[in-house]
Amino acid sequence: MIRRALCVVLMCFALPAFARAAPLTLLTTSEIPALVKPPAHGERIIALWALDCAYCEPNLAALAKLQRAHPDKIQLILVTTDGPDQRQAVAARIAQMHMDGYPARLYAEPTPQRLDYLIDPEWGGETPRTLVIRADGSRVAISGELTPVQLQRIEP
Amino acid sequence: MKRLLVVFALLATWPLGVLAQGEMHMAGMGNEPELGASAAFDAHGRLWLVTAKDGHVRVQHSDDFGKAFSAPIDVNPVAEKIYDEGENRPKIAFGTKGQVYVSWSQPLAQPYSGYVRFARSLDGGKHFSAPITVNHDLAKITHRFDALAVARNGDVVIAWIDGRDEVATKAAGKPYLGKAIYYTWSNDGGASFAADHKLMDHSCECCRIALAREPDGNVAAFFRGVYGDDIRDHAFAVLRTNGKTDHPQRVTFSGWQIAACPHQGPGLAIGSNGVLHGVWYEASHGPAIWYGQLDPGQAPRHKLKIGGPGASHADVAVHDRDVWVAWTQVSATGYQLMLRASHDGGDTFDAPYAIAESADAVYSPQLLVYQGRAYVAWNTAKGFRLIAVHYTAEARR
Repeated sequence: MIRRALCVVLMCFALPAFARAAPLTLLTTSEIPALVKPPAHGERIIALWALDCAYCEPNLAALAKLQRAHPDKIQLILVTTDGPDQRQAVAARIAQMHMDGYPARLYAEPTPQRLDYLIDPEWGGETPRTLVIRADGSRVAISGELTPVQLQRIEP
Repeated sequence: MKRLLVVFALLATWPLGVLAQGEMHMAGMGNEPELGASAAFDAHGRLWLVTAKDGHVRVQHSDDFGKAFSAPIDVNPVAEKIYDEGENRPKIAFGTKGQVYVSWSQPLAQPYSGYVRFARSLDGGKHFSAPITVNHDLAKITHRFDALAVARNGDVVIAWIDGRDEVATKAAGKPYLGKAIYYTWSNDGGASFAADHKLMDHSCECCRIALAREPDGNVAAFFRGVYGDDIRDHAFAVLRTNGKTDHPQRVTFSGWQIAACPHQGPGLAIGSNGVLHGVWYEASHGPAIWYGQLDPGQAPRHKLKIGGPGASHADVAVHDRDVWVAWTQVSATGYQLMLRASHDGGDTFDAPYAIAESADAVYSPQLLVYQGRAYVAWNTAKGFRLIAVHYTAEARR
């Protein structure tokens, strides 16, 4: 009985570490070429979102569902356009959305325009924005909450 | 044993509780610079700057066009959370008797929530009244993205984006796109405000509202709405302070359909002849900044594409036949502050040119006019700058 109880206690302590598998890290301008480079296989989905964007939460949930359906083919990365001052609020929102398992980046600059432009020059900063980069170098970029038809279009 | 398990479980979850509380305390109050700022000239040519730092809205002034500023005065003595980035920034305006008015939006703990706050100074900015919450509806929902202006008769007008109708409609099981625009006014110099007044259902959720004064002295608003099935075009209305409500009319017709937050509200300037000069962003065929003369209910006249990819956050100003449009143009190496000028009332514009540059992060430019001359207020990570447009124009000749 005691052994079983200790096991439960240890799991309780270890849980946050497992849940926060990928840390929230700052995204600088110099890291963008690597972020948008075609992956070795499958596709990388860069989910661009912002704290102030109510459309972003269901969009992230839909992308996570898509990724779970194709775990070997889709690499999902969350990128918030909020600046470094919002780090704790972003971390809390990601945890609240149960999206902690995905790599998550936060803009390293206090205003988003330069990073927006470097990630995708054809993007004016509206969120959500979904950028799909495939192993063959092709790209699909869609602004707005994805419709079922658009989700099908980006499915590998 | 059960008690022991409860204690351990509490210990295990304790760090998450600490994070949540820390987030509430720190959001908007961190050490990283937030660049949300507003500037304005008063009637005597004194330049005022309002920023936020460490939970305080701060006011400074300059008597030499921004070369030197006074020490900052805290508007709110008790620190509170403040929206000071993106489309939210503290605002400043002046009363007819020298009053200094300041408004801002205060985030609440819940996502997408906030209150509109206001304070005034009756002694030339030396001291400010205790801040008051302007929105009478105190539900913990959106009352944010405040905009502040003063009518010629001295009425203080504040408009904001409000979530109460969305919440009520969805609670009744019905759909509701976007949020709503509400406003209120004070006819006693900011001592008190009238009841919340709904202007329009279905506004965009997080784009700034542009205000300007009409020739008759009333304050008018230009803002992004949600038309039909998520079409993000703009509306125009006069914010009357006599209890009557203007019917907002659609003034842009891009047809940009998107379930998203554009994060780019419009700019408005109104000529003494009543011409409504507007600038706005839309991306129906790729990102674009437009200038046009608004014609409520009709397509804008003299529409001109100001910028494409990398262009953002335009503002517009007018004086007699001169019209100026300023915006930022970003590239891999930094930002250019761009300008176009018209000398025929906005019918045609000179070629665009860069009036300033910054390798560091910048905030939205703001066009100011004093004694017929245009200035651009530009807050950057390296500090606030005021660029005199006439100097840049002379330097080009």
